[in-house]
Amino acid sequence: MTGPIVEARGISRVFPMPAGPVTAVHDVSIRIDHAEYLAIWGPSGCGKSTLLHMLGCVDTPSSGSLLFENRDVSALPDAERSDMRLKKIGFVFQRFFLLPMLSAWENVELPQAEAGVGREARRRRTAELLEYVGLSHRTHHRPSQLSGGEMQRVAVARALANNPVLLLADEPTGELDRATGEQIAELFDRVQRDGTAVVIVTHDQAIASRARRTLVMRDGRVEREAVAT
Amino acid sequence: MSPLAFALRGIVRQPGRAILGIAGIAATGALLFDMLMLSQGLVISMERLLAGVGFDIRVTATQASPMAGPAIPNATGAVAVLEKVPGVEHVVPIRVGQALVDIDNHSDQVTFMGANAAAHGPWTLVEGREVRPEDSANPPGVIVNRNLANRHGLAVGGNLTLRGDCIDNSSVPPTVFRVEGIADFPFDQSLQLTAVTTLRSFAHACGDVNADEADMLMLASSPGADPAVVVEAIRGVRPDLTAVTNEELVARFQQVEFSYFRQISFVLATITMFFGLLLITVLLSVSTNQRLGEIAALRALGFSRARMVSDVLWRSTLLVGTGGLIALPLGVVLATWLDRLLQTMPGIPANLRFFVFAPRTLVVYVALLTVTTAVAAIYPMQTVARLPISSTLRSEVIG
Repeated sequence: MTGPIVEARGISRVFPMPAGPVTAVHDVSIRIDHAEYLAIWGPSGCGKSTLLHMLGCVDTPSSGSLLFENRDVSALPDAERSDMRLKKIGFVFQRFFLLPMLSAWENVELPQAEAGVGREARRRRTAELLEYVGLSHRTHHRPSQLSGGEMQRVAVARALANNPVLLLADEPTGELDRATGEQIAELFDRVQRDGTAVVIVTHDQAIASRARRTLVMRDGRVEREAVAT
Repeated sequence: MSPLAFALRGIVRQPGRAILGIAGIAATGALLFDMLMLSQGLVISMERLLAGVGFDIRVTATQASPMAGPAIPNATGAVAVLEKVPGVEHVVPIRVGQALVDIDNHSDQVTFMGANAAAHGPWTLVEGREVRPEDSANPPGVIVNRNLANRHGLAVGGNLTLRGDCIDNSSVPPTVFRVEGIADFPFDQSLQLTAVTTLRSFAHACGDVNADEADMLMLASSPGADPAVVVEAIRGVRPDLTAVTNEELVARFQQVEFSYFRQISFVLATITMFFGLLLITVLLSVSTNQRLGEIAALRALGFSRARMVSDVLWRSTLLVGTGGLIALPLGVVLATWLDRLLQTMPGIPANLRFFVFAPRTLVVYVALLTVTTAVAAIYPMQTVARLPISSTLRSEVIG
């Protein structure tokens, strides 16, 4: 596919609150291309996660336009947005959100089954992904038997299960110590090098600096954009 | 992983809660199943009892229940007329009174009946022979039930002395009977003592030799004859009498005598269902609220709203289905125990069952549990369907 994966033009997100509407994201325009590495950096509460959720079609902008592979996300029904997320986007969360009753293998296999991938193809892809994140020896362990870093690796494998074009990570190292966070960041570097666009939301400057492009946010606006040379 | 397997893994994840939920449904389900059996049990049991007697039409003097109203006068004439009605195979006139049997220093009260049964009477002979109206043996013959035989050590060929107690303030000399048979009487109570002889011997023992009355005429229609048609014919020739088929009698019981039990079963079944419904709603709601972050994450990963909603419904189905299955044997055990308890109530025939299983009971039970499954899941399904993904994920991280 040619053209950007995501193109946001002047998107804002306003939340109605008892004390009056709160603008979490204000007039942000952004373009994400294939195999790009973008970091969204800023202090807590600056609207990074809200922007990420809109880029990942989890939330829709209150105003402005958001195109995902040239399709207007706001115009899509919920079921189609779900399908888009399932097949085109991978999500990694700060708190992993692995299903505790499933093994690492099953957690990675689950989105593929949901997408209707056949049993044999699932088996191959799951083995390949757990090998990719360095956990082929922990396939049958449940999340409670894994360390934080291992859980986040499984979460990355799960996010990549359906070969997404875009991987979104919301503070993926927020629950990890620095060394483990570095390992996870290296994993994202690798994912991007292998052709998947990666967008990381972080307040950790060291993690943000690994991306080629960084959006610095403050009070719901993009304060500046830095591009590594 | 199929939605069912996914829901199963979700439930097993918290075994304590799952066991509690299933146990609760098993208990309420057992009660519900019993109430459903009770709602129709008496009617079905009564139908079976009446059908098992071998007579399908009852004729009385009034519309009062058999034995509760006045006697039919000129019973011999009535029998002669009814025997000629097309479709009538045979007619047995019956009188019912009381008698006393003396043993040692006390007397036992016996339900004493007179019946002229040419072929067979409304009882099942288990030993010996029938007492025929034409028998003129001395002492006269009598058939006793097993309770009476056991209590007084009677065997076929033995003698039984009865003092008729059929008319108020009467004093009748005791009559010695020869036990010709031992029989099961379908409407006997559990401890009831029963004896039946011919109408003539009954009148003699009761001291009203000249009375030609019957409390009830029991008619067996010919094979192939429709009892309802026969009843119509009887109403034509003897409009002064009341003839009812077994079906009509059951319908009357259902409307009057058994309606009390039907109402009780309806109320208890409704309450039981309500408690089961509340239990599952609470369990599912608590479980859903604890998993909001997980659900939001799955939605973010692309699991559709319908898929997540169906997961709640599957969980409800698994809890109610498993509990409902366990409830069946529990319900049967409970019903058996309750039946035994209720059969000892005064005035209840020992062979009458309160809790009777019929295929319809199972169908209604499954239908009610299905409704419970769906209704109990409505609120948690709504919670999942309306879950805002983005703000839930944010609050999970902040919280």
